[in-house]
Amino acid sequence: MDRPTSARARNSRRALAGLFVLAATVAPFGLWAWSSQREIRFVEVAEKAGVKHTHHTRQFPGKNGDILNIFTAGGASVAVGDYDNDGLDDIFLTDSRVGGKCRLFHNDGNFKFTEVTDSAGVWRGNDERSIVADALWFDYDNDGREDLLVARFGTPILYHNEGNGKFKDVTATSGLDQFANTIAVIAFDYDNDGYLDLLFGNYFQPVNLIDLKTPHVLPNNLDNAINGGGVTLWRNTGKGSFVNVTKKAGLDKHTGWTTDVGHGDLNNDGLQDIYLACDYGTDRMFFNNGDGTFREVTEKAIGFDTRKGMNVDIADYDNDGWMDVYVTNITDEYMKECNMLWHNNGDGTFNDVSRETGTCATLWGWGAKFGDFDNDGWQDLFVVNGLRSAGKDNYIPILVNMIVKPGVDFSDVNSWPPIGNMTWSGYQNKKLFRNNAGGQSFQEISTRAGVDNDRDGRGIGLADFDNDGRLDLFQTNVDQPAMLYRNVTEDVGNWVELLLAGTKSNRDGIGARIKLTAGGFTQIREVNGGNGYAGQSMRRVHFGLGRASKLDAVEIHWPSGTIENVEIPINRLTHLREGTGVVPK
Amino acid sequence: MVQRSVSVFALFLLVSLAGGAPASPEGSFQAALKARAAGDWASALASFEEALGLDADNLRYGSEYRQVVIQTKDHERCLQFFEKLVAGHATAANAYLNYGFAYVDKMPVAGSITQVILANAALAQFTKAIEVSPTWLAYYTRGNSYLFWPKIFGRTPLGIADLEKAMAIQKKEAKKSYHVRVYVSLGDGYWKMDDLEKARATWSEGLREFPGNQSLEARLSRNGDQLKAYIEDAFDPSKRVDTNLSEMWAGR
Repeated sequence: MDRPTSARARNSRRALAGLFVLAATVAPFGLWAWSSQREIRFVEVAEKAGVKHTHHTRQFPGKNGDILNIFTAGGASVAVGDYDNDGLDDIFLTDSRVGGKCRLFHNDGNFKFTEVTDSAGVWRGNDERSIVADALWFDYDNDGREDLLVARFGTPILYHNEGNGKFKDVTATSGLDQFANTIAVIAFDYDNDGYLDLLFGNYFQPVNLIDLKTPHVLPNNLDNAINGGGVTLWRNTGKGSFVNVTKKAGLDKHTGWTTDVGHGDLNNDGLQDIYLACDYGTDRMFFNNGDGTFREVTEKAIGFDTRKGMNVDIADYDNDGWMDVYVTNITDEYMKECNMLWHNNGDGTFNDVSRETGTCATLWGWGAKFGDFDNDGWQDLFVVNGLRSAGKDNYIPILVNMIVKPGVDFSDVNSWPPIGNMTWSGYQNKKLFRNNAGGQSFQEISTRAGVDNDRDGRGIGLADFDNDGRLDLFQTNVDQPAMLYRNVTEDVGNWVELLLAGTKSNRDGIGARIKLTAGGFTQIREVNGGNGYAGQSMRRVHFGLGRASKLDAVEIHWPSGTIENVEIPINRLTHLREGTGVVPK
Repeated sequence: MVQRSVSVFALFLLVSLAGGAPASPEGSFQAALKARAAGDWASALASFEEALGLDADNLRYGSEYRQVVIQTKDHERCLQFFEKLVAGHATAANAYLNYGFAYVDKMPVAGSITQVILANAALAQFTKAIEVSPTWLAYYTRGNSYLFWPKIFGRTPLGIADLEKAMAIQKKEAKKSYHVRVYVSLGDGYWKMDDLEKARATWSEGLREFPGNQSLEARLSRNGDQLKAYIEDAFDPSKRVDTNLSEMWAGR
């Protein structure tokens, strides 16, 4: 169902008109002219860089095995983080088959990586009871070292970073002992107590898919399903353990098929809010009350929908000072849902401007990430897609015969026809949308930029792997090798990268907002704890500055409430410590 | 005897006072139109249903009823009503057509998967209408419906076959304004099957028959991606399909 009511549609038109006015008045003409000359370019270097990893989906036994396989065809995840604090972001990648090895690649610099999985001790996770689905770096004990969480269809694994290149499995004492079919996880400090909490997005209900007790485990409705796994929120006690506070926080009534979760301050009140992207039914938005609870604002903010939400990324794409939300859905030959680019109106409501901005159609969408790839001061958008690239026969006509069968029970695994070697929304070219400066429209440039591969993409990790100020891309694929794209865009704009360390706030500074003014306009970024489906980007924040050669103001809003103004140099990474300001590396 | 006559008279009075006199379909229809004009949707729906109960095959009653349903979003009620109506009037071809359109009317407020289910259910009713009475309208309706299905489902040739039958029927009839629709849709069907030459020939023939028709002119003035975008937009499932059949009785 299309969300906009007539009032909403009017708001949309008004908001759009506002966008054009805003773009015309605040963006310096010189910057626009400059940005239009840049050609964004990437080169795929995974093998050359030594990052060799092929993901494998879980195979299930029995006659319904391939249906369960397709319903769990995620799990190809990337988590970017500097686990050894050497100033270079490292890469953790997941696998999902029984015994499949997750891998840690150490960044040696100059786009060379060395696999250190065995010495680090972080390869495990895929066994007869559990399937690895996502991974996350976060410093849960504020010791200044990134710890690692592996989320699973099962119970999660928490590794403590011992600081010597080794990790210790501390799951048993972490309290994270609840079985869930988790597909996404983020870390943020929802209660601002200085410790990072965990929000898990759960796809199926907590049933063991490997040992099915009932065949009724699939969505009970393909547009309005309410038999999914919802979310679970775990509060960090600050003593090395977590407690489940889902109900207390007011998140227990959501029973949808959560595919991705994202956080950000969506109403500029200094608190981290959340967005849940859900398959087979409506997405949900919750605002943080600041007292350890959330209130649902879905109906007023975005309305209820019936789409197949896959990804949440949150960014201020139009530089108006309000964080916006991008959600991928399915827009293919046989299903025209359109993605959602939720423009934040600043009054608790959002308008979907994906059609107007040209970011609506990305086929079977998965991960999507905003990033300023040419440093022009306007965030571009990379989207991966593709469900299953296999044989020449297409599964869709066969599937539709099942769907239109009167009285069919979608939740029953036995209702679904076997897929065999058929293709389902496969061989799809990735999409790179260049922000046409002003945020009022985007241009799809994936072919020119060299990122139009047709693999079955899932997650995206953005990072400046070689510290050259240009954002590189990491793309995971299911049942196919992962890809590392080095940004080779020439003559990019000036830039700034910041790495924050909280003292009163959580050590990672997750949830901090940075307001940077340069070249006549202000940009905002927030340090995020893993937004985006199956992909965690670097923790640093990156700003493109265009031609601006000096910064007029840089303001840090820490989660603790502290606001600091700092002076920082351009074209380099700067370390900031809460209460101190700029500090040496 | 006198006593019996008095009793019969009393019964007649009672029935008359209670409004139980046999209603006429046209009377109910006019009452429905009045209620609709007054914004009394509940009464309008009830009166339309009453009219259709008395004249199930009336195309106009069904069409006007559905337009009110679109306003009130009482789609489930409408579908249930038509389900019962066709069950009781198995030879009312137009009731099947309106039943099918009722599914189409619900599509814009449904999710993408439910839309597929509704579209398929609509086709089933259009097929029954053809089985009962293979009219121009029935063939055009089903043929055009097939074209909304992406090519991958293999239904475009079925749509073309129906539309060619509709074309054959209209060529034997006096020209009506709505006949132009077949030229548009049949051309679209050929275009979908990558037969651009045949598509253009059909649209051109339509334009000769119906000079100035904007839909045909728009297609003939476009090429390549522009034409593709224009036709795809016409078959966008997220947009409401105009199922108001008033052109059929407008007498043009």
